[in-house]
Amino acid sequence: MAQLLLPFPLEPSARFETFVVGKNAALVAHLRSLSDAGYTNSPPLWLWGEPSCGKSHLLQATCAAMLPASAIYLPLKNLPKLVPDVLHGLESLDLVVLDDLDVVVGNPAWEQMLFSLFNALQAEEGKLVCAARCAPAGLNFFLPDLDSRASGAIIYQVTGLIDDHLAIALQTHARFRGIDLPDKSARFLLHRLPRDMGVLCRWLDTLDQASLAVHRKLTVPFIREVLGTSDT
Amino acid sequence: MAANSAVRPSLWKQCLRALELELSEQQFNTWIRPLQAEVSDGGLKLLAPNRFVVDWVQENCMDHISLVVGSIPVKLAVGSRRRPPLSAGTVKETPARPTQPLLGSRLNPLFTFKNFVEGKSNQLARAAALQVGENPGLAYNPLFLYGGVGLGKTHLMHAVGNMILEEDPGAKVVYIHSERFVGDMVRGLQHNTIAEFKRSYRSLDALLIDDIQFFAGKQQSQEEFFHTFNALLEGQRQIILTCDRYPKEVSGLEERLKSRFGWGLTVAIEPPEVETSAAILMSKAAVEQHYLPEEVAFFIAQRIRSNVRELEGALRRVIANSRFTGQPITLDFTKEALRDLLALQDKLVTVDNIQRTVAEYFKIRVADLLSKRRSRSVARPRQLAMALTKELTNHSLPEIGDAFGGRDHTTVIHACRRIKSLKETEVRVSEDYGNLLRTLTG
Repeated sequence: MAQLLLPFPLEPSARFETFVVGKNAALVAHLRSLSDAGYTNSPPLWLWGEPSCGKSHLLQATCAAMLPASAIYLPLKNLPKLVPDVLHGLESLDLVVLDDLDVVVGNPAWEQMLFSLFNALQAEEGKLVCAARCAPAGLNFFLPDLDSRASGAIIYQVTGLIDDHLAIALQTHARFRGIDLPDKSARFLLHRLPRDMGVLCRWLDTLDQASLAVHRKLTVPFIREVLGTSDT
Repeated sequence: MAANSAVRPSLWKQCLRALELELSEQQFNTWIRPLQAEVSDGGLKLLAPNRFVVDWVQENCMDHISLVVGSIPVKLAVGSRRRPPLSAGTVKETPARPTQPLLGSRLNPLFTFKNFVEGKSNQLARAAALQVGENPGLAYNPLFLYGGVGLGKTHLMHAVGNMILEEDPGAKVVYIHSERFVGDMVRGLQHNTIAEFKRSYRSLDALLIDDIQFFAGKQQSQEEFFHTFNALLEGQRQIILTCDRYPKEVSGLEERLKSRFGWGLTVAIEPPEVETSAAILMSKAAVEQHYLPEEVAFFIAQRIRSNVRELEGALRRVIANSRFTGQPITLDFTKEALRDLLALQDKLVTVDNIQRTVAEYFKIRVADLLSKRRSRSVARPRQLAMALTKELTNHSLPEIGDAFGGRDHTTVIHACRRIKSLKETEVRVSEDYGNLLRTLTG
């Protein structure tokens, strides 16, 4: 899919404020509480769910909420060149967030480093949040010790949004970018594009740039025009 | 951040704001958020957790940071304001903060004998540990605890350490994971401080090393540990070791070490029975100041059978759900909170899967389990499979009999009774049953 490059930077949007909670109220409350200075000795959290259900959004929001404490967000699938040594020393941080953990489960070198990190974070009272496509019980771990530690985490399933909530989420993202996206336009987009918030947000950016260029509002005819001229 | 007349404390915040606009959100969260800033020698010092972060920031952001800070010098290094990095393997520069003493006790004060729930599966190990705590260096030395993951070996080890310290607050007691021992040794070799490393370890009153199976294949670490072990034992200092299996079964471990491990007392910890698991759950909930109804404790204990750590994970999840939704913990609430976990288990625990798993375990065919053959090599696995099906599924006795080659329900009753009695008299049967149970519910 072709994407228009933006000549100016975007405000960050993966925040709790832009996450439509849906059925994930307890999880969101738990993640928000991680930034409380008084919340120490937190056991690891393990989030799982279908692709595009909002895991990465929540993980990055958790990271962002930690300031001024130190945190790291490591998307293991998006950074394929990473080697296991990248986990060295992370226990010195207040929060370590590992996304797409399932891509390295089963790899002995990665599991060895993950096991060390689990232990070190526990010893140093650092917080750990992981996400994967399924719960630990559904993954084939190489190290039983790591399997056991992962299974001892507080496990939450991230539940994706139904269409009504997706429309609200899309409008929330639009508002965060300073765009007015009418209800009709949001539903039009949902009917024509994949129900993947990442893809939808990239389209929002494209639409935003197009509307700025010709000074038009995001009406259904205008969106149809832009979608028609792009390779969907 | 220390006050400095030349460098404003808000300078790093300014840099963050600029970088946040310059980089993608993911890049910012991955490479910039882990940086910790401090003012040092009239400049800005940025501490990164490892060299990967240093390299990325150096390559992609330093020009931009320099633009924001102007003429103020910026130094980027591996280190932490919170604590120095654990492993020296990737340390590029000396940590900014003076290194802490090589050995802190690292004992977790929450792990005590008082909150260790005793059951049939762990009473021998607990009794031995208690004796060691009362007479360190004299009772059993070394004390070797072994068993599967998440059964409480580490808890017992810490409990002994805490007890020794309670009796003698000046005692030098250190708990360490075997991997960290290896890491410390590598650091000692790299930084030419191996003599200090040796001195530190050999002057302890009690050394508690967890998961020694991770020494396997690491010759130099084993060599060093061998000498530390001898020195401590000669001085009647206590050593406690844990492992996931019986010492003789750890491959890649030197024979002389294996033999020494057997000098003291070697004791196993088995997976807890349902009653012990329920008691553990209620005790843990009480520590967290939550009331866990008995029926809920039994429900979780019956459904999660693999190990205590997983059991605790489920409990924490129920407690967290209750805390963050404001609802009391009831049976229905618990079923809902653990819905996905239990659904996943249900997928594993079907008659077909039980038969397949048992057949694989005994290296026979599923068809043998369903056949009329009554030789012991087939009959015993069949009885085990029937007993497991009765325990793990909601199928009725006639349904189970049907699923096993159309047998009568009285055959199933006989199989369940037979296995129950054999578990009490034959260790092998009890072990096979436990292993299969963990495989099916893990």
